[in-house]
Amino acid sequence: MTSLPRPTRRDALRLGACGSALGAVALTTGCGSEPAAGDARALRIAQKSEPTGLDPHLESGLDGMNVLINIFDTLTMRDTDNELVPRLATSWEAVDEHRWRFHLREGVTFHNGEPFDAASVKFSIERLIDPATESTIIELRAVDHAEIVDEHTVDIVMAVPDPVIPEKVSLFGGVMLPPGYLEDVGAEQFAAQPVGTGPFRFVSWRKAQLLRLEANAEHWNGRPAFDELHFTAMPNPASALAGIQSDAVDMVSALDPEAALQLEGYKDVALEKYPGIRMYFVVLDTEHEILRDERVRRALNHAVDVPLLIEAVLNDSGREAATIVPREAFGYVPDIPPPERDPDLARRLLAEAGYADGIELRFTSSNKEQLVCEALAGMLGDVGVTLDLELLEPGTFAERLESDDPSSLGSMYLTGSTGWTLDGGATLQSYIRSDRRRSRIRSDHADALMDTIEQTIDPDTRLEALQEMQQWLRDEAPFLFLYQADLDFATNGEITWEPNVNGTLAMETAR
Amino acid sequence: MNSAPAPPPSSTPSSAPSAETSGETSTSTTSPTTSPTTSPTPSTPSARRHLLRAALTRLLSSLGVLWAAVTVVFVLSRASGDPVAQLLPENANPEQVAQMQATLGLDRPLIVQYLDFLGGLVRLDLGDSLLYREPVTSLIAERIPATALLAATALLITVVVSFLAGSIAAMRRGTGVDRTVMSLVLVGQSTPAFWVGILLVLLFGVQLRVLPAAGYGTLAHLVLPATTLAIFSVAVVARLLRSSLIEVMGQDHVRTARAKGAGEVRVLLAHSLRNASMPVITVLGLELGALLGGAILTEQIFNWPGIGRLTIDAISFRDFPLVQGTVVLFAATFIVVNLLVDLSYAIIDPRVRTEA
Repeated sequence: MTSLPRPTRRDALRLGACGSALGAVALTTGCGSEPAAGDARALRIAQKSEPTGLDPHLESGLDGMNVLINIFDTLTMRDTDNELVPRLATSWEAVDEHRWRFHLREGVTFHNGEPFDAASVKFSIERLIDPATESTIIELRAVDHAEIVDEHTVDIVMAVPDPVIPEKVSLFGGVMLPPGYLEDVGAEQFAAQPVGTGPFRFVSWRKAQLLRLEANAEHWNGRPAFDELHFTAMPNPASALAGIQSDAVDMVSALDPEAALQLEGYKDVALEKYPGIRMYFVVLDTEHEILRDERVRRALNHAVDVPLLIEAVLNDSGREAATIVPREAFGYVPDIPPPERDPDLARRLLAEAGYADGIELRFTSSNKEQLVCEALAGMLGDVGVTLDLELLEPGTFAERLESDDPSSLGSMYLTGSTGWTLDGGATLQSYIRSDRRRSRIRSDHADALMDTIEQTIDPDTRLEALQEMQQWLRDEAPFLFLYQADLDFATNGEITWEPNVNGTLAMETAR
Repeated sequence: MNSAPAPPPSSTPSSAPSAETSGETSTSTTSPTTSPTTSPTPSTPSARRHLLRAALTRLLSSLGVLWAAVTVVFVLSRASGDPVAQLLPENANPEQVAQMQATLGLDRPLIVQYLDFLGGLVRLDLGDSLLYREPVTSLIAERIPATALLAATALLITVVVSFLAGSIAAMRRGTGVDRTVMSLVLVGQSTPAFWVGILLVLLFGVQLRVLPAAGYGTLAHLVLPATTLAIFSVAVVARLLRSSLIEVMGQDHVRTARAKGAGEVRVLLAHSLRNASMPVITVLGLELGALLGGAILTEQIFNWPGIGRLTIDAISFRDFPLVQGTVVLFAATFIVVNLLVDLSYAIIDPRVRTEA
């Protein structure tokens, strides 16, 4: 028999837990759902899913990070104006190509009283990149190690230059963990009772039911207005609506446009739209015999009326995009206009390319995007482009996205990309360079530009490369440019709070 | 769960029990004696050997079914995709993907993974979830109580409501009462459970606010999901019981009872229900399967923290060990329920204990 942390559970299962568990439940069914203590003001938030665990180095999903960002502070952060501002680091600079220096805030302590200092940073960064941690966070792959300069100064030393390190430590990669506590209790207990420096402390988590945090009165940035944060997972919008209307939750985050539409017009429900950064676009296989012709790719862009698509399918929850770089990202070029929405021009271009009788293309997407796909098929059908739609279950689609066989996604596929670092390179990096699996572009010029964007530290040089890249995308049209999705929230109308463009649920600013 | 065991009808012509048992019957040696007709415990050595062989056959076939189920799931889940594609962000490079696959043990040959899984199963170790990084057994154990509570409550509602509806309809067959009850039942059978669930939420949770719309914790939270889950089964069981009762009530011993002046209710309780319950018990066993399937949907609608939601997450993330674990649990539940159904025959019908 292997030794296990919870032998009693194992025994229960072995004995056929149904019977014994039933008895146990029958005894405890009377207890309510733990209201907040006394007159404590709790903010109750529903997301689609809950964290898979509470070790922030093992959490790569946004829903999980939205909980953890309240328990843990990062070195830098994006404020609600999307500026990169100090958090646990007060300032930072590149010492040279291989060295980023961070000056740390003084007098910060973890929830267990442990002081936060350069040693905590070194420990946190090195734990994240240690293969033994098995982290799913990949942003710091170019980091070699961290060096303590003095008690409140630390260097992140790169194996390969990376210009975006300060941005990358604003969320997933930048959470600071208490080395002493982790050494004392071990990783498993740390994940069960996480300790950070953040504005809220962990209280309890009943899986699939309720995750509770309480305000950290000693937080260096002051005590949050709410006494408690409650997170629940509500996968479907009907529960979310019922939850808000029956006063079981105060806020539902990250609603799909069609879910938000379902909540419209109910009293006690306030719908809030904020700009988001998730970019949606169709990747065109530039090696495909028909799509090889740039006139055909431009024709597709002229044929799709994106503003109409946003209005009709997304309930206005999106912004038209002329590129795949989000508007709020570093390097975004605002003066590239979107393609003219002109079906006649599209037909002319197709005829010029020799396809006056129309063409047929295989189009793949996750079935989550079904409505958008059908709208695209309709608009393209009007100019003689017949789409052979293949809508896949999201898991299957994800697998094909990462497959080495480009034909598994047909001649074009719809994708969404969230570049939370707000660097122009974030959404470009997976879709352009010829050696990336999602890329359907073979261009030495584009590869060289990507290398400059990814490896140059000097911001001016990078900015030039980013701008040139977007101009190149505009001329070559290797994508069918669509939209930048909004963030839809539903609240009970009594919460004052605003997310940044990432939609991160950092709730210390909520009133 | 069953209706109170009634005394055996004195007029039932039951054959004298022999000490033989067929391979199809229960293997329990401590089956409660509910009727004075016979003791189910075999007394002769040859009968004991029979019983032992039957028990062994039963056990082996159960293990075979379990093995088949987990093997199919092992193959299917791995054919359906790679979890690493969803565990890592889009900008993971090939080295990081390869490293994650090695970390999760997914780079080993399939046969090695399969044997490893079977070996673990023998030790009741289902491995660690890829998504939650916790032992599958403890993840499942955490969720069993909620699902067990939901399914058991739904089963209880099914039994009570369907026995009432079926009995009333059978006693008043051909009348307006019969037609009304059966029409209601048919409506219940024809409407999709998730739709009923959402309507119940909107009515009781949102408009009237008399019951919580979703969540877990109090008895009030249990009402809507259990009702939703029970509706379909009620229809199936009530219709079956009605026809079964009508058939039994036409039999000789019931006519005899009526001739002796027994009232309609007494005819039902003392002379008909027990015999009419036999097919119903079989169907209730099957319905438990439907309940487990229905629980997956119902738990999604009502945010019920049970196995169903865990299963959906496991499948959508290709969390192989967790999918395998939930299937082991479902298969084992079915096997146990089948056994219980066979056992209950022996308790309810003395003839089953004899060589039929």
